[in-house]
Amino acid sequence: MQSRFDSARKRFIAFVLLGWILLLISDRVGELRNYQGAFVAMYSLAIACLILLTGYSGQLSLGQGALMAVGGYSAALTATKLSWHPVVALIMAVLVAGLFGLIIGFAVARLSGPYLSGTTLALAIALPSLANTFPSLGAEEGIIFDVGKAPTRFGEAFSQYKWFFWISALAALISIWLIANLLASKFGRNWKAIRDNQTAAALSGLNPGRLKVTAFAISSAFSGLAGALLVMLISAVSPSAFPLSLSFLILTGAVVTGVYNLRGVVFGALVLVVIPEIADAVVTSLGGSERLTSTLPGFLVSLLLILAVLFTPNGPGHLIHFRKKNTKK
Amino acid sequence: MKLFDTFLTGLSTGSIYSLMSIALVLVWRSTRVINFAQAGQAVLSTYVGYEIIVRTNSFWFGLIAAMIAGAAIGALIDFFFMRALFKRVKSGPIVLVAPVVATLGLLGIIQAITGFIWGLDNKSITPPVTTGGFTIGDRTLPFGPLNLLIVVAVTVSLLILAIIFQRTNIGLSLRASAFSPEISKLSGIKVDAIRTFGWALSGAAGGLAGILFVSNSALNPNAMDVLLVFGFVSAVIGGLDSLIGAVAGGFVLGMAINFAVAYIDTQMIFPTTFLILILVLLLKPSGLFSRSKGRRD
Repeated sequence: MQSRFDSARKRFIAFVLLGWILLLISDRVGELRNYQGAFVAMYSLAIACLILLTGYSGQLSLGQGALMAVGGYSAALTATKLSWHPVVALIMAVLVAGLFGLIIGFAVARLSGPYLSGTTLALAIALPSLANTFPSLGAEEGIIFDVGKAPTRFGEAFSQYKWFFWISALAALISIWLIANLLASKFGRNWKAIRDNQTAAALSGLNPGRLKVTAFAISSAFSGLAGALLVMLISAVSPSAFPLSLSFLILTGAVVTGVYNLRGVVFGALVLVVIPEIADAVVTSLGGSERLTSTLPGFLVSLLLILAVLFTPNGPGHLIHFRKKNTKK
Repeated sequence: MKLFDTFLTGLSTGSIYSLMSIALVLVWRSTRVINFAQAGQAVLSTYVGYEIIVRTNSFWFGLIAAMIAGAAIGALIDFFFMRALFKRVKSGPIVLVAPVVATLGLLGIIQAITGFIWGLDNKSITPPVTTGGFTIGDRTLPFGPLNLLIVVAVTVSLLILAIIFQRTNIGLSLRASAFSPEISKLSGIKVDAIRTFGWALSGAAGGLAGILFVSNSALNPNAMDVLLVFGFVSAVIGGLDSLIGAVAGGFVLGMAINFAVAYIDTQMIFPTTFLILILVLLLKPSGLFSRSKGRRD
């Protein structure tokens, strides 16, 4: 008991330290880096949600983009149509996406196999048309989501991008800390148990169906927050903000991180932010055509996904671990 | 009369859905993977068909080319990619998700490549017959020669599939290795080769579905994404395991969507699809047409 308490306290201190370091860094880098940093924070949260779902409870969701869209739309609707405070909007994103996840999860998550992945993928594909079905969602133009300027007490020089970074990083830090604690708790162990052997878990008194639905709802709730952050960063929500490629991107980030460990989500998120930059550089050096510009990022992401699945299926961390074990022999 | 009209259009959309659904079920039965790359395979083989149609000016050559290309792509993916994947990824909890993730990665790669070669803009395929409707007396039906062509083409290919499955040795091997790979191996069936053949059949069905689908609409690298959704939902309605169920599921979904569009609102396509999917999963997860108990593991 003592040791578990200790590790929880250590984790808390680590997160506070990380937040403080990020704060120091954000003061010293330019606006573009701050903006990219905000994206890294948002992606980290989204990847952490998928790791919770896939790595721990053993369910594969291919449509994280759709869950993020639910959060994004609820945040924008709350802030713009009801003109409530942006913080309330972010909380609404969590609640609505969680509820949505609960409903979908109740239908799908109890069944294993291809049903969950298929249904979530179908949701992600159909999302633009679904959003256009309801006129109150603003169709193609979408809805504006403005979190407002930074408070004046931060000074004149405090830029909008830095403010974005602060909000994203704070929201991501708090949420990932909560997720990390959850995974280290009874819930995390139970999820791993049903993932590894559902029958054995059921025999020892766990309820696999209920645990899976819980995992899906929690993952969905935090994905909603990530979606709201994404919408904040691009300042409006529309179907085109959540293309199918966003779901691919999150999945790639999770597989590159290693689906079975929360450590390294920031690494996965960094990769996602770096890929478009690499693609840009390649296109410029090749004297870029329009077709190459539009298809290369998607190609790189998919290639990375396949290579990661083929060569480090359990994550790069697992690879190092495996090597160590081999050398000991 | 509206009822009859809707029934006819439902028949034609439903037949395309059932082809896509069959393409998914064929792979699911032999590999236990929902092949999301099928949307990419179908789009790539449709582009091949499109090129042939542009070169030779004949829709029929294009249709055959698309089916052959689809079969070749399917076989190649299984032979060079899925086999390697199953050999490499054996341990750890990733085994459950790796094949699905891999098919998704393939989908992304194929779409990027087709986008690079043919561009992201819409191409159109001119069908060999008029797209207008038949006229009975002074009334024009919404069902025309093109719809008839689609229904006939799908029916013929379903019959061929049924003959392969019920009347040939290879069909028997296909059914046996889907039912129990180990026992089939013991009785001398080359399960791996049979599986590759299943992938080829599935690719051909996908190619045919693709070229028929775009002869009604436009062709671009993402054109088959929605068809994949309809195919998946049809397959779930049919219970994923049964070929007859897949066909029936396709027609059920096609009818439901056309009736919802005709009687409620033109925007009801996806809401109807998801309502049906959720209802089937909640009430009868093993599918409306399967006799066996649903697989929960």
